[in-house]
Order: sequence, then structure tokens, then C-alpha cells
Amino acid sequence: MSSEHMLGAVASGRPHRTTPPPSAPPRTTSPRSTPWRQRAEIAFFVTPALALMALFIAWPVLSAVRFSVYDWNGLGPLDDFVGFANYADVLKDDVFTDAVIHNLVIVVGSIIVQLPLGVALALLLNRRMAGQGLLRTLIFVPYVLAEVIAGVIWFQLLQPDYGLIDAIMGGIGLTPPDEGWLGTPEVTLWVVLAVLTWKYLGLAVLLFLAGLQSVPEELYEAAQLDGASWFQTQWRVSIPLLGPTIRTWCFLSMIGSIQCFDMIWVLTGGGPADATTTMATYLVDEGTNRHNYGIAGAASVVLFAIAFVMALAYQLVVLRRDTKEEA
Amino acid sequence: MSRKTQALAALCAGVMIAATGCGGSGDSGGGDSTITWWHNSNNEPGKGFYEQVAKDFEKANPGVDVKVEAFAHEDMLTKLDAAFQSGDVPDVYMERGGGELADHVEAGLTRDLSKDSADIIEQIGGSAAGWQVDGKTYALPFSMGVVGFWYNTELFEKAGITETPTTMPELYAAFDKLEKAGITPVSLGGGDLWPAAHYYYAAALRGCSQETLTSAVADLDFSDPCFEKAGETVEQIVAERPFNKGFLSTASQTGPTSASGLLATGKVAMELAGHWEPGVMQGITEDKQGLGDKTGWFPFPAVDGGEGDPTAQLGGGDAWAVSEEAPDKAVDLVNYLLSDDVQKGFAENDMGLPTVPAAGSSVKDPALAELLKVRDEAPFVQLYFDTAFGESVGGAMNDEIGLLFAGKATPEDVVTATQEAADKEK
Amino acid sequence: MSEVSLKPRRRNGSTNIVVYLVALVAVALTVGPVLYGALGGFRTNGQIAERPTALPDPWVVDNYAGVLSGAPFWTYALNSTVIAVITTVVTVVFGVMAAYPLARYRFRGREALFMVFVLGLLFPAAVAVIPLFILISRDLGLGNTWWGVALPQAAFSLPLTVVILRPFLMALPRELEEAALIDGASRIGLFWRIILPLSTPGLVTVAVLAFVTSWNAYILPLLLLQGEMRTLPLGVADFSTEHSADTAGVLAFTTIAMIPALVLFLALQRRIVSGLQGAVKG
Repeated sequence: MSSEHMLGAVASGRPHRTTPPPSAPPRTTSPRSTPWRQRAEIAFFVTPALALMALFIAWPVLSAVRFSVYDWNGLGPLDDFVGFANYADVLKDDVFTDAVIHNLVIVVGSIIVQLPLGVALALLLNRRMAGQGLLRTLIFVPYVLAEVIAGVIWFQLLQPDYGLIDAIMGGIGLTPPDEGWLGTPEVTLWVVLAVLTWKYLGLAVLLFLAGLQSVPEELYEAAQLDGASWFQTQWRVSIPLLGPTIRTWCFLSMIGSIQCFDMIWVLTGGGPADATTTMATYLVDEGTNRHNYGIAGAASVVLFAIAFVMALAYQLVVLRRDTKEEA
Repeated sequence: MSRKTQALAALCAGVMIAATGCGGSGDSGGGDSTITWWHNSNNEPGKGFYEQVAKDFEKANPGVDVKVEAFAHEDMLTKLDAAFQSGDVPDVYMERGGGELADHVEAGLTRDLSKDSADIIEQIGGSAAGWQVDGKTYALPFSMGVVGFWYNTELFEKAGITETPTTMPELYAAFDKLEKAGITPVSLGGGDLWPAAHYYYAAALRGCSQETLTSAVADLDFSDPCFEKAGETVEQIVAERPFNKGFLSTASQTGPTSASGLLATGKVAMELAGHWEPGVMQGITEDKQGLGDKTGWFPFPAVDGGEGDPTAQLGGGDAWAVSEEAPDKAVDLVNYLLSDDVQKGFAENDMGLPTVPAAGSSVKDPALAELLKVRDEAPFVQLYFDTAFGESVGGAMNDEIGLLFAGKATPEDVVTATQEAADKEK
Repeated sequence: MSEVSLKPRRRNGSTNIVVYLVALVAVALTVGPVLYGALGGFRTNGQIAERPTALPDPWVVDNYAGVLSGAPFWTYALNSTVIAVITTVVTVVFGVMAAYPLARYRFRGREALFMVFVLGLLFPAAVAVIPLFILISRDLGLGNTWWGVALPQAAFSLPLTVVILRPFLMALPRELEEAALIDGASRIGLFWRIILPLSTPGLVTVAVLAFVTSWNAYILPLLLLQGEMRTLPLGVADFSTEHSADTAGVLAFTTIAMIPALVLFLALQRRIVSGLQGAVKG
């Protein structure tokens, strides 16, 4: 199975591959390209990155896995082995199972909302128009903002009565929810989804614009000769050619949503009444605030397992279309 | 000193945990002449005051170097957590007592001060109870406050409330009067959970006898019916709908739209909070006066048929502890921090409610002075439940109380959830 | 801000008023909240408390002036900058080195090796923070240092960097390599002399992403840095201490703190777009 299209699609906005995959270095008669030498070269190039990731990602994550089978409050030695009891507790906990559902809502919601909006904006910003550079620039602003800052600002905007949003709604005769946007369990998750959309739409537009850049000009010219309108051109040429880019963006968006943490932590802390917890906020809360490190470890393993299965399924079902020509 | 948990800005760490367990000790290798001291008074006057205290101590102890670190409260908690796990604990640090301290003691991280600070412990008296494990004292409380209703005297007058409520029906009557006058009665920082939990603790303090509470803390047993009754009391209060709009997500004390901010700017009439409230309100208002001379305080009202003493108070505080690995000089520093002089300075700067009797008269702020009297006249001060039970049980309890406020859990659920978490601990 | 598109194209249909309207609405929704924060910095806490929705009246520059004249601000800014630069350099150098054989060599296990990097995408940084703290402060002795924050940040930035750079390198024309190898250049020499210069647009892209990520990071610096070593996002905490919540000050501080990342990203946004598409084809 090849995964070169995980993001490769972004690089080549082609609907299907017409070039063969990169082949081996040309056969020269030089004795330098012996397999042994090649292996040494590969090791030389790859080792620094792998070493850094092993030290700072793999090792801490493996530690977390180890702690998931102990009952431990973070102090003293690891000596209270409990097997899979922590996993049972986590999976029985309504707060956690709700958190999984919230994650899935964010995964699906993000894609449903950001995909059409992102494509529309990218097509719009791909036109030649006065102020194009400025418009693009402004669309990217939220994506560049630190989550902490964005969260603080939105928290202020969403305050009941005193916040800007309520003031604007009052101005046009709409009534905000009784207990405010962030205080009404039934609506808060949707509010969070809206804020996440605001924050990450810029990323979608960024990637789609990149994908559009590699649509060959001739195709537009051909469409023009056929007398197609701008809309017809977009529908028949741009959007189909964006396919691989869209599939790649969906993958990144999914992975981001399943790990969603920062914004929720700042904006709602998982509340009100656990209405916006995600797997990540659950495990951080169990660890940081309650010192149930075994539970937190188990939750993080479950989180990783879900992310992995999703990524694998997506790879098999969707991305394979982009890579099927490869052995 | 405010308490805990995620203030808006505290994006604290996602924690998962230390691979090495925590064998190694972490004396920072500075030999016996360096003392690291972490505190959370990172704004003036507290910051400067502590700098000076450290300098004075260095002068009196040649060759000793005190490294002072001032943190924002949330940052300090995060860093302390990490420090305990890595075993690299600062020599002098703040302990909140209760179950948390018991864990530190069990892990051999905190030094027993019973002998080295015997005189001071005697002076402090009953306040030290929250920092004792098996009869030994592990930290010296330098500030102890109590929780009650802070209110805006002007708005009470405006609503025609002449006497502060002493029973639940009187409290509800006050709510009604305020509503009629177009004033939101109470602000609540439900986004942080613990302000909501305080209602439950206070209701339990009024409903349960002292013996029941003491044995509940010791044995983690919540079978006494008074614990469920406390939940019913809270349910009644919530049913009166006295709170500010969006109270489930309101922050406790960050900014003008927080629960403290609403009280400070005259948008609500009262808030249940601890001794830090005047200081917080002063920080939020533009003229740095908070409610100024409109500041009033009354204790949590008595509950009908409750077995608790209406003059007992719910409270908590901060104490200086010394890490097991610290040089002996660190104990001298802590004793110096609890000396009459330093405690007087602490009181004069309105940094909290001093625990050493000699410093009591130095409290300048009238509201705090009144509170000090209430504290000292109380038959006993019950440590906040979440602190007393430790983070794991306390966290489960607070979470369920949050659901109770949202109408998504029953009083029975609160007891069940707490008991389940407690049984895991045993 | 130049308005010349990288590759000017003819489009049919002229730009009409509807398009501008849609664009304007999008921009208003996008930038409004940020503007609110920036303007909030020009108000006093009293103003914000009394009328949260109003414009500054009168405009006060005290918050911004206070932030900029404070020595701590510049200390934090220096730390943020150094850490972001180290993170970026390590990420880009290690990242492009790793991406090169994954893109230009053929060997057994290539895809499996690439999957290792893709897997790295699945780990949220939050999960590893405390073990990291122990590792860095005790085992490596890098607590409270620039490197102690920058290196783990670089590690977490590497997966995405490799995933972006690999297809970019794949798209480079192979003739160059062949010519160079026939001339007797070594693979490593080839990497330095030909591949690196040609991949500049891709490198700019991943560099900016790594820089901005580091600039906005909060968790790791919070745990690992104290006192004089803290970065700007931590400095914000100084403004919202326990006893006072200086909302206007926080808004001013955060507004200033986000400017460098914004300017960098926005100034280079066109290069980032072209870097992402890996278009050396022209």
C-alpha cells in the first residue's frame, strides 16, 4: 500500500497520475551506487529526524501506554498493576463515551461545513480581481492566530448580554439562548464547531488554492472556447481537478478534529455539564486536575487507536483511488 | 489567594506521565546555601514584599542564597504538579493541604515540620489541622480564609433588604426582592466548577454535624443522609433561578464578565466566594476600589433541620511546606515567613488573612478585618471538600455537582459519584 | 501587499459586485473578532466592563505603551524569537534530509518508513507533556533552556514537514540528478548543490508553518520555562494574575504578541501557496 498521496495530492492537482512514480537512480557504471552505499546514504539522511521523533514523541507516548495498566497518582513508584481495569473504567464512563461522540460530531461537522465554504472561497480568490492579495491575506488571519488568543477573544464575544454577538443579535431582533451561547448545554457544541470553522477555514482555503494553482491553463482556455460560463468552468474543470487535494485536506481535518483540544480547553473547559468534552480534554482533565494518570493513559491509548483506525480506513477506502496505479 | 483550576488562560498541560516513576531526588545541586522558593504573589505589592523578605533573610543568614520564583497561580500549580512527578521539588513551596498533601507525604516528598516549627504550630492553633497527616504537621498555613456571600450593600438597600439572610427562606425572599427591583441576585462562576461546588460544601456544612464531616473526610464514607440532603438544598437554590445569565459557563474571576467582575461592577447583588474576593474585585474595577465601602459580607444561611453549627465556616488557605530534599536552612526560611514581622507585613499589604495572632490587628481592609473575626470565632473551619478529599475524589464530586446545577444529575447522583471515586481510592 | 498573482491567468467572466460582496462578508466574519481584540487594547478595563461592545472612547494607548515599555515584554519576545528560530531550523534541516531519500530513492521499506512519519501526525502533543518534562529537565538537563523547548517542538513539527516536502521533492525534474550523477557528483553533494536550492519554495512553506506553530505554542514553554526564560504566550499570564484580570492589558499584550507570526505568514502567503503545490514545472 502506498501512502505517497497522503499529501502528494496537494502537490499534483492531477486527477490521475500520468507520470510513473520516481524510479531508481539511473544506472550509472559508477561503483558508488552499490546497495550498501545506498543504505548508508539513506541512513545518513533519515536518522536525525527519526532520532528526534523517537526521543521526543515515541518514548513519552510509550510511557503513557505503560501507565495505562497501573493505578497511579503520579507520585512514587509504579507498583499498583491493574491490568485493563483503567480501560474498562474509561469505556464505561458516560463522560468519555459522550466525548467520543462529540469528537465525531466535530469530525463530520468540520468537513460538511468547511468543504463547500473552503472550495467556494478558494475558487473566488483564484479569480483575478483587484485586492486579491489583500483578501487572501485576511482570510488566512485566524489560521495564524494562536488558539489561546482566539479562544480568549471568542469567549469575550460570546458573553451573554455583554458580548458583541448578543448585542448584534438584539439589534436585529433575534433572541440568543436563555443561558447564553456557552452556558446552554444543547447549543454549546455547535458554537464550538462554528468557532473551529472560523479558525480553520483558512487552512482549507490555503490548501485548495495550492491545488488550483496546478490546474493547467489550457483546460480553462478549452472551456472558454466551448463557451462555458465561469460557473460551468468551475464545476467541470476546477472542482474535479481539486479532488486529490480535497481528499488530502479531509484527512488532515479528520486527524485535527479527533485530537481537538486547545480551543475547547480555553473556550468551554469541556462544559457546560460536560457538553463539549472531547477525548483529549477528558484525558488532560483526568491527568492534570485529578491525577488519575492510569485513566488518562488508557484514554490516550483509546484516542490513538480511534485515530489510527480512522486514518487506516480512510487510506484504504478513499485515498487509494489516488494511488491505485502504484504497486 | 484564589483557588485552583482552569482559569481561562490556563491552558495547562496535557499530562501523561513520568516514565521513571519518581525515584530520583532532585536537589538542584546548589549545595546547602541555595534555597528555591516558589510563590504565587506575582503582582504588587506581594511580589516586592516577598523579594524584600528574601533579601532580609539572606542578610540574617550569610552564605544563603534564596532564589524566589513568582508565578501566576495556575502556572504555579501546573509547575508544582510536574515537579512532584519528577521528584525535583522546590525547597519551599505552597501546599493547599488535605488529600493532596497526604499524597505528597505518602510519596515522601514533604518534610515533617512538627518538631522544627513546634512554637509556630502552637501559635497557629486549630488552623493547622488541614495540613496535618497522622498527627504530624507538614506545612504552616500563612493565610486562612472563609467562604460566604459577598454582597453589594447599595443594591440590597435599593431592593429593600434590611437584614442579611440567616435562613434559607430569608435567602429566597431576598432573591425575590432583588428580582422585583430588576437586579440579578447572584453571580456564579460555573465555568470553573469549584464556585458551584462551594454551594454544596456550604449546604453540607450546615446540614451535617461536625463528627459526620470529620469521619467522612477520614473514612471517605458518604452514607450519612445529610450528604444527599445537601444536594437537595442546592437543587432548591438552583430552582429559584437567582443566577446570572449563562452561569454554567461564567468564569470565576477573570475579567469584567466573570462572576467577580459582575459583582464588582454592580451588575449583580451577591456572590458566594472566599476571602480573596475584595482583592479580585479591586483588580477588575478601573478605580481599583472594587465595591469599596459598598462591600458587605454574610455567612451561608442556616439550613432547616440541619445538624451543623451555623457559625462553623467553610474555608481553606495556603501554607508553606518544605520539600524532603531541601537544605535545613529552608526550614528556617519557612519559620521566618511565619514570624510576627513577616505576617504583619503580609497583613498590612492586604495579601490575605494572617494566621499568627499577633498579625491579626495589622489587617487594614475593613472587609477582611471583619472576616478575620468571623474566622477566629468559628468553632471549626471545614477545609473545602475537594481539597480535603484530594483531586481524584474532589474532581469527581465537583463534576457531578456541576451536572446538578445544569439539571442533569440528582442529589443522589452526587453522593454516588463521590462514593464511587472514593472507593477506588481506598 | 502585492496584488500580482504568481501566474497571471485569463479568466472568463469579469469580476462583478456579487463576488466582492461575498468576499467582503467572508473577510468581515474572519477579521472582525481579531479586530475586536486589537481595539479592546485601546480601551480601559472600565470601558470594557461598562460597555463591552462599544468602540474605544476615548482611545487610550496606555495599554499598548505599557506593554511595549515594559522590559519583560522584550525579554519574552527575545525568547519567543530564539526558540522559534531554533525550532524552525532544526525542523527544516532534518525534515528536508528525511524527505529526500523518501522522494528520490527506491528501496524496500520506503513506504513503511514514510508511514512512520505519517503516524507521527496522529499524536497530539498534549499526550506527552509530562514524560517530556521529566526527560528534558532531569535526564537531559535542558530544563529552562531554549533548546529544551525547541527540540521537542521540532520533533512534533517533523511529521507534517516530511509529509509536505516529500511530494514536493518528487516533483523535481529527474534529468538534473541524472546529469549530475553522470558528472560524477555524489548523492550527498547532489543534495546540497541541486536539490536544496531547487526546493526553496517548499522549504519556505514548512519553515513558516514551523515558525508560526512555535510562536503560538503554550504547553511546553509553560512547563519548561521559568522567570527570565519565558515566552510571550506565558507573558500573557502575567497580565491575568490571580487577583486582577486586566482584560484590556491582556488584549493589548496578545495583539502585540500575534503580530510577528501574522506578518511573517501573510507576507509570505503567496510563496506558501506555491510551496504547497510544489510547482517547479512553471
